[in-house]
Amino acid sequence: MMAAAVQKGERRRYWLSLAALAIVLPLAIVVNSWESAVAWRERNVRTALVAERGAAQSYAGAQWQLTGLTRLAEGSADAILIVVEFEAAVDDPELVRKGACEVVLTDDKERRWLPAFIPARAVRQARPAAADKPRCGALLNAEKGNTIKMAESFTIPASATGLKVFLTVAAARPAYLIFK
Amino acid sequence: MTGALRGFVAIAFAAAVLYGLQRTTPGYGDITSPIRVTGKPGQRVEASAFSIVTGKVHLARSVTIRSAGRGQALTTSGVWVLVEGTAEARSESLGLTSAQWLGPNGVRYALSQRLSTAPGILPAQRLEPGLPKPVLMAFEVPQGQLSGGTLLVARSAWTPLEEEVGITMTDIRPDDIRPFLVLARSEGAVPWTLNAQ
Repeated sequence: MMAAAVQKGERRRYWLSLAALAIVLPLAIVVNSWESAVAWRERNVRTALVAERGAAQSYAGAQWQLTGLTRLAEGSADAILIVVEFEAAVDDPELVRKGACEVVLTDDKERRWLPAFIPARAVRQARPAAADKPRCGALLNAEKGNTIKMAESFTIPASATGLKVFLTVAAARPAYLIFK
Repeated sequence: MTGALRGFVAIAFAAAVLYGLQRTTPGYGDITSPIRVTGKPGQRVEASAFSIVTGKVHLARSVTIRSAGRGQALTTSGVWVLVEGTAEARSESLGLTSAQWLGPNGVRYALSQRLSTAPGILPAQRLEPGLPKPVLMAFEVPQGQLSGGTLLVARSAWTPLEEEVGITMTDIRPDDIRPFLVLARSEGAVPWTLNAQ
Protein backbone atom coordinates (compact mmCIF):
# COMPACT_ATOMS: atom_id res chain seq x y z
CA MET A 1 0.00 0.00 0.00
CA MET A 2 2.69 2.42 1.16
CA ALA A 3 5.11 1.26 -1.54
CA ALA A 4 2.50 1.77 -4.23
CA ALA A 5 1.88 5.39 -3.08
CA VAL A 6 5.58 6.23 -3.15
CA GLN A 7 5.87 4.66 -6.55
CA LYS A 8 2.95 6.69 -7.82
CA GLY A 9 4.50 9.98 -6.59
CA GLU A 10 7.85 9.11 -8.08
CA ARG A 11 6.29 8.23 -11.38
CA ARG A 12 4.48 11.55 -11.50
CA ARG A 13 7.67 13.47 -10.72
CA TYR A 14 9.47 11.53 -13.43
CA TRP A 15 6.96 12.49 -16.10
CA LEU A 16 6.74 16.08 -14.86
CA SER A 17 10.52 16.41 -15.06
CA LEU A 18 10.55 14.97 -18.54
CA ALA A 19 7.82 17.36 -19.67
CA ALA A 20 9.63 20.27 -18.02
CA LEU A 21 12.69 19.57 -20.17
CA ALA A 22 10.69 20.55 -23.23
CA ILE A 23 10.31 24.04 -21.74
CA VAL A 24 13.56 24.35 -19.80
CA LEU A 25 15.90 23.39 -22.66
CA PRO A 26 14.66 26.00 -25.16
CA LEU A 27 14.56 28.54 -22.30
CA ALA A 28 18.20 27.80 -21.44
CA ILE A 29 19.18 28.29 -25.08
CA VAL A 30 17.33 31.62 -25.22
CA VAL A 31 18.84 32.87 -21.94
CA ASN A 32 22.35 31.87 -22.99
CA SER A 33 22.20 33.39 -26.44
CA TRP A 34 20.25 36.54 -25.50
CA GLU A 35 23.25 38.86 -25.47
CA SER A 36 24.58 37.51 -28.75
CA ALA A 37 21.15 37.89 -30.33
CA VAL A 38 20.96 41.52 -29.19
CA ALA A 39 24.45 42.18 -30.60
CA TRP A 40 23.52 40.49 -33.86
CA ARG A 41 20.36 42.59 -34.14
CA GLU A 42 22.35 45.75 -33.57
CA ARG A 43 24.64 44.84 -36.44
CA ASN A 44 22.21 43.29 -38.90
CA VAL A 45 18.60 44.31 -38.42
CA ARG A 46 18.06 47.62 -40.07
CA THR A 47 15.23 50.02 -40.57
CA ALA A 48 15.66 52.38 -43.47
CA LEU A 49 15.00 56.11 -43.46
CA VAL A 50 15.14 57.47 -46.98
CA ALA A 51 16.42 61.00 -47.51
CA GLU A 52 15.20 62.25 -50.87
CA ARG A 53 17.51 64.38 -52.95
CA GLY A 54 17.53 67.99 -51.77
CA ALA A 55 15.41 67.32 -48.68
CA ALA A 56 16.61 67.01 -45.10
CA GLN A 57 15.88 63.89 -43.08
CA SER A 58 15.84 63.69 -39.31
CA TYR A 59 18.11 60.95 -37.99
CA ALA A 60 20.19 60.38 -34.84
CA GLY A 61 19.58 63.85 -33.42
CA ALA A 62 20.36 65.81 -36.57
CA GLN A 63 18.87 66.91 -39.91
CA TRP A 64 20.83 65.22 -42.69
CA GLN A 65 21.05 66.35 -46.26
CA LEU A 66 23.02 65.20 -49.28
CA THR A 67 24.72 68.22 -50.83
CA GLY A 68 26.77 66.67 -53.58
CA LEU A 69 27.50 63.41 -55.39
CA THR A 70 30.38 63.73 -57.84
CA ARG A 71 31.89 61.22 -60.23
CA LEU A 72 35.58 61.71 -61.02
CA ALA A 73 38.04 59.88 -63.25
CA GLU A 74 40.57 57.97 -61.17
CA GLY A 75 43.36 57.58 -63.69
CA SER A 76 42.77 53.98 -64.75
CA ALA A 77 40.07 53.06 -67.26
CA ASP A 78 37.89 50.79 -65.13
CA ALA A 79 37.86 52.70 -61.84
CA ILE A 80 36.15 55.93 -60.88
CA LEU A 81 36.03 58.04 -57.74
CA ILE A 82 32.76 58.98 -56.10
CA VAL A 83 32.75 61.97 -53.77
CA VAL A 84 29.78 62.15 -51.42
CA GLU A 85 29.21 65.47 -49.67
CA PHE A 86 26.60 65.83 -46.97
CA GLU A 87 25.75 67.97 -44.00
CA ALA A 88 24.09 67.51 -40.64
CA ALA A 89 22.25 70.27 -38.74
CA VAL A 90 22.60 69.22 -35.13
CA ASP A 91 19.49 69.13 -32.89
CA ASP A 92 20.68 66.88 -30.12
CA PRO A 93 24.49 66.91 -29.73
CA GLU A 94 24.40 64.21 -27.02
CA LEU A 95 22.81 61.70 -29.36
CA VAL A 96 24.95 62.63 -32.35
CA ARG A 97 28.22 62.40 -30.45
CA LYS A 98 27.46 58.97 -29.09
CA GLY A 99 29.17 56.33 -31.17
CA ALA A 100 30.87 56.12 -34.50
CA CYS A 101 29.42 57.18 -37.80
CA GLU A 102 29.80 54.96 -40.87
CA VAL A 103 29.19 55.69 -44.52
CA VAL A 104 28.98 52.89 -47.07
CA LEU A 105 28.36 52.99 -50.81
CA THR A 106 26.45 50.06 -52.32
CA ASP A 107 25.34 49.03 -55.79
CA ASP A 108 22.58 46.82 -57.15
CA LYS A 109 24.78 43.69 -56.88
CA GLU A 110 24.98 44.35 -53.12
CA ARG A 111 28.67 45.10 -53.18
CA ARG A 112 29.80 47.47 -50.44
CA TRP A 113 32.56 50.05 -50.70
CA LEU A 114 34.04 51.69 -47.65
CA PRO A 115 35.34 55.24 -47.82
CA ALA A 116 39.01 56.12 -48.32
CA PHE A 117 40.99 57.18 -45.26
CA ILE A 118 42.48 60.13 -47.10
CA PRO A 119 40.88 61.61 -50.24
CA ALA A 120 42.81 60.66 -53.39
CA ARG A 121 44.93 63.19 -55.26
CA ALA A 122 42.31 63.40 -58.02
CA VAL A 123 39.68 64.49 -55.47
CA ARG A 124 41.98 67.22 -54.17
CA GLN A 125 42.53 68.49 -57.70
CA ALA A 126 38.97 68.33 -58.98
CA ARG A 127 37.03 69.19 -55.83
CA PRO A 128 39.37 70.86 -53.34
CA ALA A 129 36.41 72.08 -51.26
CA ALA A 130 35.23 68.49 -50.74
CA ALA A 131 38.74 67.24 -50.00
CA ASP A 132 39.05 69.80 -47.19
CA LYS A 133 35.79 68.78 -45.54
CA PRO A 134 36.19 66.44 -42.58
CA ARG A 135 34.99 62.84 -42.74
CA CYS A 136 31.99 61.53 -40.86
CA GLY A 137 33.90 61.34 -37.56
CA ALA A 138 33.61 65.15 -37.35
CA LEU A 139 30.32 64.58 -35.52
CA LEU A 140 32.26 64.03 -32.30
CA ASN A 141 32.54 67.78 -31.74
CA ALA A 142 28.92 68.53 -32.57
CA GLU A 143 27.27 71.54 -30.89
CA LYS A 144 23.58 72.35 -30.90
CA GLY A 145 22.49 74.48 -33.84
CA ASN A 146 25.67 73.84 -35.83
CA THR A 147 25.61 72.52 -39.35
CA ILE A 148 28.51 70.16 -39.96
CA LYS A 149 29.63 69.72 -43.55
CA MET A 150 31.29 66.40 -44.31
CA ALA A 151 32.56 64.46 -47.31
CA GLU A 152 33.65 60.87 -48.00
CA SER A 153 35.31 59.51 -51.14
CA PHE A 154 35.11 56.01 -52.64
CA THR A 155 36.98 54.14 -55.37
CA ILE A 156 34.60 51.92 -57.33
CA PRO A 157 34.46 50.19 -60.73
CA ALA A 158 33.10 52.38 -63.52
CA SER A 159 30.60 49.62 -64.35
CA ALA A 160 28.80 49.77 -60.98
CA THR A 161 25.15 50.81 -61.26
CA GLY A 162 22.32 51.60 -58.85
CA LEU A 163 24.53 53.38 -56.33
CA LYS A 164 23.15 54.22 -52.91
CA VAL A 165 24.78 55.91 -49.94
CA PHE A 166 24.10 54.37 -46.52
CA LEU A 167 24.85 56.23 -43.34
CA THR A 168 24.62 54.82 -39.81
CA VAL A 169 25.37 56.35 -36.44
CA ALA A 170 25.97 53.70 -33.77
CA ALA A 171 23.59 55.27 -31.23
CA ALA A 172 20.69 55.32 -33.69
CA ARG A 173 20.89 51.70 -34.84
CA PRO A 174 18.99 49.72 -36.03
CA ALA A 175 17.75 52.75 -37.97
CA TYR A 176 19.91 53.90 -40.88
CA LEU A 177 19.76 56.58 -43.50
CA ILE A 178 19.80 56.15 -47.29
CA PHE A 179 20.62 59.03 -49.59
CA LYS A 180 19.12 58.65 -53.03
CA MET B 1 29.58 -12.55 -8.39
CA THR B 2 28.37 -12.03 -11.93
CA GLY B 3 26.96 -8.67 -10.74
CA ALA B 4 30.36 -7.51 -9.52
CA LEU B 5 31.98 -8.72 -12.71
CA ARG B 6 29.42 -6.94 -14.82
CA GLY B 7 30.00 -3.73 -12.85
CA PHE B 8 33.73 -4.00 -13.35
CA VAL B 9 33.36 -4.53 -17.11
CA ALA B 10 30.99 -1.54 -17.35
CA ILE B 11 33.43 0.72 -15.51
CA ALA B 12 36.36 -0.46 -17.62
CA PHE B 13 34.34 0.13 -20.79
CA ALA B 14 33.30 3.62 -19.66
CA ALA B 15 36.91 4.46 -18.78
CA ALA B 16 38.08 3.28 -22.20
CA VAL B 17 35.43 5.37 -23.97
CA LEU B 18 36.27 8.46 -21.91
CA TYR B 19 39.97 7.99 -22.58
CA GLY B 20 39.29 7.75 -26.29
CA LEU B 21 37.16 10.89 -26.23
CA GLN B 22 39.82 12.74 -24.27
CA ARG B 23 42.56 11.79 -26.70
CA THR B 24 40.58 12.70 -29.81
CA THR B 25 39.15 16.02 -28.58
CA PRO B 26 40.46 18.76 -30.87
CA GLY B 27 42.17 21.63 -29.10
CA TYR B 28 40.75 25.13 -28.98
CA GLY B 29 43.25 26.18 -31.63
CA ASP B 30 42.03 23.44 -33.97
CA ILE B 31 38.35 24.23 -33.46
CA THR B 32 38.82 27.92 -34.21
CA SER B 33 41.57 27.68 -36.83
CA PRO B 34 41.01 29.39 -40.19
CA ILE B 35 39.09 27.44 -42.81
CA ARG B 36 41.44 26.63 -45.69
CA VAL B 37 40.35 27.21 -49.29
CA THR B 38 42.94 25.49 -51.48
CA GLY B 39 44.01 26.31 -54.99
CA LYS B 40 46.77 26.10 -57.57
CA PRO B 41 49.24 28.73 -58.76
CA GLY B 42 47.89 30.77 -61.66
CA GLN B 43 44.33 29.83 -60.79
CA ARG B 44 41.83 32.26 -59.31
CA VAL B 45 41.16 31.08 -55.74
CA GLU B 46 37.98 32.40 -54.20
CA ALA B 47 37.31 32.76 -50.50
CA SER B 48 33.96 34.23 -49.52
CA ALA B 49 35.38 37.70 -48.88
CA PHE B 50 38.17 37.95 -51.44
CA SER B 51 39.85 36.23 -54.39
CA ILE B 52 43.51 35.98 -55.32
CA VAL B 53 45.56 34.74 -58.29
CA THR B 54 49.29 34.23 -58.03
CA GLY B 55 51.54 35.07 -60.92
CA LYS B 56 55.31 34.88 -61.20
CA VAL B 57 57.43 33.76 -58.27
CA HIS B 58 60.93 35.22 -58.05
CA LEU B 59 63.70 33.68 -55.95
CA ALA B 60 66.82 35.63 -55.12
CA ARG B 61 69.73 35.86 -52.68
CA SER B 62 69.54 39.62 -52.51
CA VAL B 63 66.87 42.19 -53.32
CA THR B 64 67.66 45.81 -54.11
CA ILE B 65 64.91 48.37 -53.66
CA ARG B 66 65.51 51.18 -56.09
CA SER B 67 63.85 54.50 -55.35
CA ALA B 68 64.81 58.02 -56.41
CA GLY B 69 67.93 56.76 -58.17
CA ARG B 70 69.36 55.17 -55.04
CA GLY B 71 69.38 51.49 -54.30
CA GLN B 72 69.74 49.52 -51.11
CA ALA B 73 70.67 45.85 -51.35
CA LEU B 74 68.99 43.59 -48.80
CA THR B 75 70.69 40.26 -48.33
CA THR B 76 69.31 37.34 -46.38
CA SER B 77 70.66 34.18 -44.80
CA GLY B 78 67.83 32.30 -46.52
CA VAL B 79 66.25 32.98 -49.88
CA TRP B 80 64.01 35.88 -50.87
CA VAL B 81 60.69 34.68 -52.26
CA LEU B 82 58.76 37.40 -54.09
CA VAL B 83 55.30 36.36 -55.21
CA GLU B 84 53.39 38.54 -57.65
CA GLY B 85 49.62 38.26 -57.76
CA THR B 86 46.28 39.95 -58.24
CA ALA B 87 43.76 40.28 -55.43
CA GLU B 88 40.20 41.53 -55.33
CA ALA B 89 37.58 42.02 -52.63
CA ARG B 90 34.33 40.25 -53.44
CA SER B 91 31.56 41.99 -51.54
CA GLU B 92 33.08 44.63 -49.27
CA SER B 93 36.25 46.76 -49.28
CA LEU B 94 38.99 45.12 -47.22
CA GLY B 95 42.70 44.72 -46.65
CA LEU B 96 44.60 41.41 -46.55
CA THR B 97 47.02 41.84 -43.67
CA SER B 98 48.29 38.28 -43.40
CA ALA B 99 50.33 36.25 -45.87
CA GLN B 100 52.50 33.32 -44.77
CA TRP B 101 54.82 30.84 -46.41
CA LEU B 102 54.08 27.42 -44.95
CA GLY B 103 57.17 25.26 -45.36
CA PRO B 104 56.98 21.48 -45.99
CA ASN B 105 57.91 20.82 -42.34
CA GLY B 106 54.97 22.90 -41.07
CA VAL B 107 56.88 26.04 -40.09
CA ARG B 108 55.21 29.31 -41.09
CA TYR B 109 57.14 32.32 -42.33
CA ALA B 110 55.37 35.68 -42.11
CA LEU B 111 55.83 38.47 -44.65
CA SER B 112 59.24 40.07 -44.44
CA GLN B 113 59.03 43.38 -42.60
CA ARG B 114 62.08 44.64 -44.46
CA LEU B 115 60.10 45.10 -47.67
CA SER B 116 57.00 46.49 -45.97
CA THR B 117 57.36 49.83 -47.77
CA ALA B 118 57.82 48.30 -51.23
CA PRO B 119 55.25 49.36 -53.87
CA GLY B 120 52.18 47.14 -54.07
CA ILE B 121 53.08 45.13 -50.98
CA LEU B 122 50.01 43.15 -49.89
CA PRO B 123 49.15 44.38 -46.35
CA ALA B 124 49.31 48.03 -47.45
CA GLN B 125 46.75 47.57 -50.23
CA ARG B 126 43.11 48.47 -49.89
CA LEU B 127 41.09 46.09 -52.06
CA GLU B 128 37.78 47.20 -53.52
CA PRO B 129 35.01 44.94 -54.90
CA GLY B 130 35.11 44.84 -58.69
CA LEU B 131 38.63 46.29 -58.94
CA PRO B 132 41.37 43.62 -59.10
CA LYS B 133 44.64 45.02 -57.80
CA PRO B 134 48.21 43.81 -58.40
CA VAL B 135 49.84 42.79 -55.12
CA LEU B 136 53.33 41.73 -54.12
CA MET B 137 54.31 39.39 -51.27
CA ALA B 138 57.87 39.03 -49.99
CA PHE B 139 59.21 36.30 -47.70
CA GLU B 140 62.59 35.27 -46.38
CA VAL B 141 62.64 31.49 -46.28
CA PRO B 142 65.42 28.92 -45.63
CA GLN B 143 66.36 27.16 -48.84
CA GLY B 144 65.15 23.78 -47.56
CA GLN B 145 61.64 25.16 -47.04
CA LEU B 146 61.17 26.31 -50.62
CA SER B 147 59.92 23.35 -52.61
CA GLY B 148 56.67 21.94 -51.29
CA GLY B 149 55.77 25.28 -49.73
CA THR B 150 52.24 26.65 -49.47
CA LEU B 151 51.23 30.29 -49.67
CA LEU B 152 48.59 31.21 -47.08
CA VAL B 153 46.65 34.47 -47.43
CA ALA B 154 44.00 35.71 -45.01
CA ARG B 155 42.37 38.96 -43.89
CA SER B 156 44.17 38.74 -40.58
CA ALA B 157 46.43 36.20 -38.92
CA TRP B 158 44.41 35.97 -35.71
CA THR B 159 40.73 35.92 -36.61
CA PRO B 160 39.21 32.54 -35.75
CA LEU B 161 37.01 30.74 -38.28
CA GLU B 162 37.78 33.16 -41.11
CA GLU B 163 38.63 31.76 -44.50
CA GLU B 164 42.24 31.45 -45.56
CA VAL B 165 43.44 30.79 -49.08
CA GLY B 166 46.14 28.12 -49.35
CA ILE B 167 48.00 27.86 -52.66
CA THR B 168 50.39 24.94 -53.03
CA MET B 169 53.39 26.44 -54.78
CA THR B 170 54.53 23.87 -57.30
CA ASP B 171 57.26 24.66 -59.76
CA ILE B 172 59.64 26.16 -57.20
CA ARG B 173 63.17 25.03 -58.09
CA PRO B 174 66.26 26.00 -56.11
CA ASP B 175 68.06 26.29 -59.51
CA ASP B 176 66.00 29.39 -60.18
CA ILE B 177 67.53 31.35 -57.32
CA ARG B 178 69.12 34.43 -58.78
CA PRO B 179 71.94 36.26 -57.04
CA PHE B 180 70.40 39.73 -57.41
CA LEU B 181 66.94 41.12 -58.01
CA VAL B 182 66.04 44.79 -58.41
CA LEU B 183 62.64 46.02 -57.23
CA ALA B 184 61.71 49.46 -58.55
CA ARG B 185 58.63 51.66 -58.44
CA SER B 186 56.66 51.92 -61.67
CA GLU B 187 53.98 54.31 -62.85
CA GLY B 188 52.12 51.68 -64.86
CA ALA B 189 49.11 49.57 -63.90
CA VAL B 190 51.44 47.32 -61.91
CA PRO B 191 53.17 49.67 -59.44
CA TRP B 192 56.51 47.83 -59.45
CA THR B 193 59.04 46.24 -61.78
CA LEU B 194 61.26 43.26 -60.92
CA ASN B 195 64.43 42.64 -62.86
CA ALA B 196 67.32 40.25 -62.45
CA GLN B 197 70.60 42.07 -62.59
